[in-house]
Amino acid sequence: MKLSRRKFVKDAAAGAMLVGGAPAMLGRALAAEKVKLCSLYPLSGAFAGVGKPGDVGAHLAMQALAKDYGLDIDYVSIDSEGNPGRGVAKVLAEIQQSGTKFFAGAILSSVALAVGAEVHKSGGVFFTAVGADEVTGANCNRSMFRWSVPTYGAIQETVVPLIAMFPDAKRWYTITPKYVFGDSLLRNAVDVFKEKGIEHVGNSYHSLTETEFSGYLTNAAAAKPDVLLLLNFGSQSTNTLRQAADFGMKNKIKIVMVWAAGLEQYQEIGTDVLDGVYVGCQYDVTIDSPGNKKIVELFKRDANRIPSYASVGGYICADLIMRGMKAAGSAEPAAVIKALEGMKYEGPTGNEEIQAFDHQCVKNYYLLKGKPAAQKKSSDDYVEIVSFGKSFLTQAQSLCKMA
Amino acid sequence: MNLYLIQVLNGLGIGMIYFLIAVGLSVIFGIMNFVNFAHGAFYLLGAYLCYAIAAATDSFWLALAVGPLAIGALAWAAETRFLCRLYRVEHMYQILVTLGLALVIQELVVLIWGPIGTHVSAPALFRGVLSYGDFAYPKYRLFVIGFSAVLALTLWLLLERTRYGAILRAGTESTEMVSLLGIDIFRLFSLTFALGAYLAGLAGVLAAPIRGAEPFMGPEALTIAFVVVVIGGMGSFAGALAGGLLVGVVQSVMSSLWSEGANVMIYVAMALVILLRPRGLFGRT
Amino acid sequence: MLRRLLPAPAMLASIAAVVVLPLILPSVAMATEVVVFIIATLGCNLLLGYVGLLSFGQAISFGVGAYACGLALIHLHIGVWGGLFAALICSIIAGLVVGALSIQKRGIYFVMLTFAFSQMFYFIAYAMAEVTGGDNGLLNVPRPPLTVFGVTLLSLGTPLSMYCLAAIVFLVLFVFLHRLVASPFGSTLIAIRENEERAIAVGYNTRIFKIIAFVISSWVTGMAGALYALFLNFAPLSNIDVSMSERIIIMTIVGGTNSLFGSVLGATFYVVVGNLLASVWPRWLLVLGIILIVVAGYLRGGLWSGVEWTWQRLRARWPVAGAVEQREDRGGA
Repeated sequence: MKLSRRKFVKDAAAGAMLVGGAPAMLGRALAAEKVKLCSLYPLSGAFAGVGKPGDVGAHLAMQALAKDYGLDIDYVSIDSEGNPGRGVAKVLAEIQQSGTKFFAGAILSSVALAVGAEVHKSGGVFFTAVGADEVTGANCNRSMFRWSVPTYGAIQETVVPLIAMFPDAKRWYTITPKYVFGDSLLRNAVDVFKEKGIEHVGNSYHSLTETEFSGYLTNAAAAKPDVLLLLNFGSQSTNTLRQAADFGMKNKIKIVMVWAAGLEQYQEIGTDVLDGVYVGCQYDVTIDSPGNKKIVELFKRDANRIPSYASVGGYICADLIMRGMKAAGSAEPAAVIKALEGMKYEGPTGNEEIQAFDHQCVKNYYLLKGKPAAQKKSSDDYVEIVSFGKSFLTQAQSLCKMA
Repeated sequence: MNLYLIQVLNGLGIGMIYFLIAVGLSVIFGIMNFVNFAHGAFYLLGAYLCYAIAAATDSFWLALAVGPLAIGALAWAAETRFLCRLYRVEHMYQILVTLGLALVIQELVVLIWGPIGTHVSAPALFRGVLSYGDFAYPKYRLFVIGFSAVLALTLWLLLERTRYGAILRAGTESTEMVSLLGIDIFRLFSLTFALGAYLAGLAGVLAAPIRGAEPFMGPEALTIAFVVVVIGGMGSFAGALAGGLLVGVVQSVMSSLWSEGANVMIYVAMALVILLRPRGLFGRT
Repeated sequence: MLRRLLPAPAMLASIAAVVVLPLILPSVAMATEVVVFIIATLGCNLLLGYVGLLSFGQAISFGVGAYACGLALIHLHIGVWGGLFAALICSIIAGLVVGALSIQKRGIYFVMLTFAFSQMFYFIAYAMAEVTGGDNGLLNVPRPPLTVFGVTLLSLGTPLSMYCLAAIVFLVLFVFLHRLVASPFGSTLIAIRENEERAIAVGYNTRIFKIIAFVISSWVTGMAGALYALFLNFAPLSNIDVSMSERIIIMTIVGGTNSLFGSVLGATFYVVVGNLLASVWPRWLLVLGIILIVVAGYLRGGLWSGVEWTWQRLRARWPVAGAVEQREDRGGA
């Protein structure tokens, strides 16, 4: 038999890889005994700043609470790299490799929606804290649950109270990112404007990667609004706010950031710029509720940090999955889902409840105001709560039609 | 027309920063025929050194003076150690190595300063707005325009009136001739690369009070630099200036006219320039 | 006769790779991801390795292929063949448009032009949010069984079944590209890469050749995109982002542009090592950056040249007389 050297080398290489890969094959053959809880966050790439706290929170929840609930949890952390394609591929790999059924997290809405669909197909449970309406709206499914308040509630709990607080501020200008999510916020805002007789003096769309907002702010200023409503988020809202302050707009115009990311963002913005600005957020460390007190103590004890929305979002998603397992008395996803639907519990914002028809948590959304430096009680005390409340679409209004 | 006046001012401010980023890239490519995908990383380092030095010493001016010099030194070291080996190879390897360098710098920044962005305050001298009746404009942005104009003038003098500048200009036409005339080409390349990095770092320092410092700001600077270099013409100082200002002003004015499209317009312009007038506004063929 | 179809070693190597991957990787999903990117890298390798064109437009074809396949499956209900065919048509059209315009320029201008087009397509994709899903991506792409005249060939319901589809598409495209580069057409492409002026002087219409190569590359990458959409049941906006082009280019160069099999090595290396590193250290991009620097500086032939070097050493050790050897020219495997 003529042995081609090339073939020989390649076969030898293949053989070596097979031997080396045997453990991987063996690993798949042995079934996992503990229940796996997999968290999915961007730990590298552009969203690492928000992903890391989420991962920390989820891990903290598991370490601190699993034993209390009588559960034996194996925690796995997946880096979605801020890339939806990689994130979903890794979730698929995790499902196939280890049969993992329980997933928590996601920062990007696109990742959450796609992962939710995959987890549903494999019959698992996915708890997320992203903002896109579709998660508990048009794309809802039996496996996906969401803790955070979607755009309707965010607008209702920020714009409506402000209109009541400042009845003379009739002219509002909006700055909106050209995202599906940005459009949802804008739609809800425009509805409120119509209802309350507010003059929507203009809107500026901007692209997904914009960092220079001077042009849009100049436009806004030219329209002479009473209130500047920022519907963007993340580093874009940080930059818009910073540049608005640079242009001296804070003196004449009230600025509202509807979808703030919490403490990490306040730190990035800085006290001077944040002073007097109204922000909307899903959570704040100063919330006065038994659930939150417990969380603040836990974070201090185990992680030596102050909880923020990013970390509490991760914490609560993991926590609720575990509570579901405890209530169901089993790690069978169908049972856990049944147990979660309609569950009332003591959450970070007080009494919270998971709606059965769309798997959305009913919780407060907060309107906060930036404090001046003189009033700060500590270096991380950036905002104070102005008002809060629960606003959600009814089942009739919702786009969610779960089988 | 007050609105458009302010938009133009905005555009000039951003445009000047674009010019500083692009001129280095343009000269590096014009002289060395070297595609530098790490250019955005120098901008990133500039912003972070500004933050670090200003935080440590409370002096923006120190950051402005020292930061870019440090980046220039770093670039010099990188160039003499390993980048110089890649001048004769195909562009794809140059792109690969500088992409790798950019990733390394970016991740080091995250390791040192964390993944969350930080804010940098403008120097006390230029905080606040300049008011003139109804018109109010941030003092810092006016400073950026003024400072960059002075810098542009200095660079121009460097190019036109000094020996190094003459060699540089000759180099953009033909490095062979220059080396045949007995000038150490490799020294020239190192200096040029370091100068380009210095200017990108300077742009980063200037931009930090406007848009903060965050670890993933490199690619955006790189992209803009490519657009400006193409539109202005590769290897041309005047091209980088004209291109930068043009792109900045167009972006600003577009945000009043068609805001979502402001970004894509510059790529359309870039494609049109390459197709119809490849040498750009001021470049040589 | 089979020998004439494809040189045995290359064929065996690719079959071996495709068989071995799902066995040694921790999950079939990862193997599928690897194969998808192998195909995408093949498309880039054709342009970069054989014509010498560095295009940042890979993401255009990848994204267009994914969207076309996804949209066809969602709205037209025409099955997997239909989805793949839609991806074929759309990626060829995109390749034709971008290629015909970009080919006019050479060198760095070509690179910048493809870069600009990539950004424009990205913008179009997210602006047409009602069609593509915008930044949410195209969700719920179905994966119906692969049937021929009513007979189900592959159910595509199981991960292994999906992998088989990807593997078969890979093998078909690999054979096709192999024949292509070994043919006179391929030799002309190499001639254009080596010295375009001379090729023109000899009488070739290099423009047409380059455009055809661009279109073929676009088609191959589009097929990868279509498979990706089927695999993930999802076509995100990130498919058409410039960073996807960067990723594919990195895989191509790291694998080695001297041989089509380099694409197999490059894509496998990037996906597997990337996943491994990312699970260990969030700052894995730092390691990737160092790898890129090392490859560009010291291992320009990529991983393929490493394999070749190993083989040379082994041949020197154990010379086997009379063994039939593959021609060593750059067109071979």
